Amino acid sequence: MRPENERKLAVILGLVLLAVAALCYTALKPEASEEPIRMLFRGSAGDVLFTHQVHTGDYDVDCASCHHNLDDGDEVYNCSECHEAEASQDDDMMSRTDAMHAQCIGCHEEMGAGPAECAACHATPK
Amino acid sequence: MTDSTKLIVSHAPFYRDACTVMKRSYLIMAAALVAIIPGLLIFGIPAVGVCALAVASAILWELTANTLMKQTPTIGDGNAAMIGLILAMLLPATAPWWMVITGTFVAVIMSKTVFGGIGGNPFCPPALSAAVLMISWPHLMNFNGMLVNYDMAWSMVDPLINAKFFGAETADLYTTTDLLMGHQAGGIGAVCGAGLIIGGIFLMVRGINRWEICLSFLSGIFTSALLFHMSNPDLYAGPIFHLLTGYTLVAAFFLATEDASSPVNTIPMLIYGFGGGMLTVLIRNKGAWVDGALFAVLLMNLANPILDMIRPKALGKV
Repeated sequence: MRPENERKLAVILGLVLLAVAALCYTALKPEASEEPIRMLFRGSAGDVLFTHQVHTGDYDVDCASCHHNLDDGDEVYNCSECHEAEASQDDDMMSRTDAMHAQCIGCHEEMGAGPAECAACHATPK
Repeated sequence: MTDSTKLIVSHAPFYRDACTVMKRSYLIMAAALVAIIPGLLIFGIPAVGVCALAVASAILWELTANTLMKQTPTIGDGNAAMIGLILAMLLPATAPWWMVITGTFVAVIMSKTVFGGIGGNPFCPPALSAAVLMISWPHLMNFNGMLVNYDMAWSMVDPLINAKFFGAETADLYTTTDLLMGHQAGGIGAVCGAGLIIGGIFLMVRGINRWEICLSFLSGIFTSALLFHMSNPDLYAGPIFHLLTGYTLVAAFFLATEDASSPVNTIPMLIYGFGGGMLTVLIRNKGAWVDGALFAVLLMNLANPILDMIRPKALGKV
């Protein structure tokens, strides 16, 4: 193949693929499912991968068991909207870390199922 | 009677088989596609977007560099496209567009063009770029976090994260068949072990990849993982697991074999490959990073000029 034809081929390839990429990143981008499948919580003690869909589906855990505000007529599902990084002194709101720990460990101990030790959830070096 | 032909040498080039740089690049891309297509089928449209953007932006970066430096465009040799495609193999399917473009900028401009273009790069461009991305945005190269929206029939927890942080027994969650079929969390072109092996064998048979590097890299992985596993089977996963997870096979067949940054003599190639494999497992088992393949390749790239000083003795005397 002549060098100018090689260059033309590369330019055409680049432009076609750029158009494909633009489509994939915009119009064809799949919608994320309404209910999370898994969630990754990042923490100083190591990441925690929470299998949300397994808990609601396989373990049949009710939404309000964790999202306790739903019982009060609140429709907020994001824990971080109320539970901030630091505990609030004004309204006795637990910090995010404490709330998560209380929720996960509390439920696991109550149900006698699931891990309660740090290293069983947090990805910490052995 | 002396052999009169013994000291007669012809001058270079010694051998020509009409293989051009362009042909090599497109053959490597064809081999890579054998592993990438299963990844595209598994991860869908987002993965297509990442691969397309990586190749397109790599070509456009090289064209921009050529234009700014008033050079004849070199994009026709396919090297930039190849670099983009190999980088895409290492990325998660949901990588944001700006990260892909930054990655190809690092790979094409900072890893190749600034060193004088093709053949002048001391490091494997896609490996250096992926390592820069991994250090700069570790959460975007974390497959557990990036693939949370994929609901599959198999475990979508990164096998290397599982084995490193939750004990070697978690390696049993992943069967060899699953790992070969691409049923694991990982890079778009890094999950399908069978595709990578087929592509790798094709490149070795065509003489594009030196078998010495590929096989010594894999034997370095196998030997060191086996030794670790024998020393403490509860803590360290076995050799087959390490061979088929993470970036191992991509590194063995597409990164470590990069022409400019790998040795040319046989013994250096064997040391380079084996050392790369050993370092990969060492970083995985003892280092801070989950996968050591990229860093192992880069460290061996660094040792390449020294290793290549081990040469065959020249015939005759001066």
